[in-house]
Amino acid sequence: MSEIKVIITGTPGAGKTTAIAAISEVPPVRTDTATTDELADVKSETTVAMDFGELTLEDGQKVFLYGTPGQQRFEFMWKILVQGGLGLIVLVDCTRADPIADMGMYLDNFADFVAETGAVIGLVKRDVNDTPAVDDFYQALSQRGLMFPVLEVDVREQGDVSLMIEALVSLLEFA
Amino acid sequence: MSQVRISESGAQFCQSVFDDMMSQCDAVYGVLISTVDGHDVVRSFKQDMPAPKLAAMMSSVLALGETIAVEADQQQCRYVIVENSNGYILTLRLKEKLVLSVIARANANLGMLHSISRSAVEKLDEKLR
Ligand SMILES: Nc1nc2c(ncn2[C@@H]2O[C@H](COP(=O)(O)OP(=O)(O)OP(=O)(O)O)[C@@H](O)[C@H]2O)c(=O)[nH]1
Ligand SMILES: [Mg+2]
Repeated sequence: MSEIKVIITGTPGAGKTTAIAAISEVPPVRTDTATTDELADVKSETTVAMDFGELTLEDGQKVFLYGTPGQQRFEFMWKILVQGGLGLIVLVDCTRADPIADMGMYLDNFADFVAETGAVIGLVKRDVNDTPAVDDFYQALSQRGLMFPVLEVDVREQGDVSLMIEALVSLLEFA
Repeated sequence: MSQVRISESGAQFCQSVFDDMMSQCDAVYGVLISTVDGHDVVRSFKQDMPAPKLAAMMSSVLALGETIAVEADQQQCRYVIVENSNGYILTLRLKEKLVLSVIARANANLGMLHSISRSAVEKLDEKLR
């Protein structure tokens, strides 16, 4: 196992592209194009195919990172991108109306993949009031019969992104 | 909902361009205009195909084509072509935020498809805002 593939998903604007750009050792591959729908109020570009980046862990392990598009209309890309993957990182944008439901939506859509592998939940944009406590996410996971790490992260920080990847790798090593 | 909306007269103009394409090359059985971020805008299909899904897929394929070109040190991706045992799918950019896709049976001539797609883009480019 000298190369592993990790997939990052989550709602549009959660920070998948930002996370990969923050950590990749090579210039990341991006497929962002202009937003033409209501998302344009939030951001001018959105990923329509994939993001790609590479990094090397301390033990020499090579990690290939794939970011998905966030919108459900790109679910065909989700199916393509998980092939051969080791695990999933779900970024949950805590500024949105119902972050726990957002997490559930991605866990449902990636259910087969997650059942075979595992996932780490990254809570992003926590610098906002009235957002569910970390425990609420653990509770929602356990109601689904899932035990995955939930981390509060700033995806603009390389160290935070690497924390999620390390959590995923160790979750799967000891699974 | 897509915010890119075409006026009624604009949609009629698109339909007339699509009709011309289909009469110039009767192997063409689908023409679709969608947005770069994958929303279906206007289409003419001679057979049933899932326009919303195709619109999303066309935006992915075009974005990947353009990205692969850059990685391979090539510039200005003109078309992405998917060539299959029984047909062709040709995708190209239209204005800044739109995508034109042409779907044809295998009896189409690829050179012909190129030329009718190019000239459609020129016509649409002039007319659409
Ligand atoms: N204020 C704040 N902004 C953040 C934080 N984390 C990420 N962002 C910003 O949120 C935005 C995330 O955008 P992207 O990385 O394009 O999001 P994405 O998940 O790739 O989105 P799609 O490709 O549209 O699905 C960027 O502008 C980041 O700078 C945070 O913790 N606080
Ligand atoms: Mg993105």
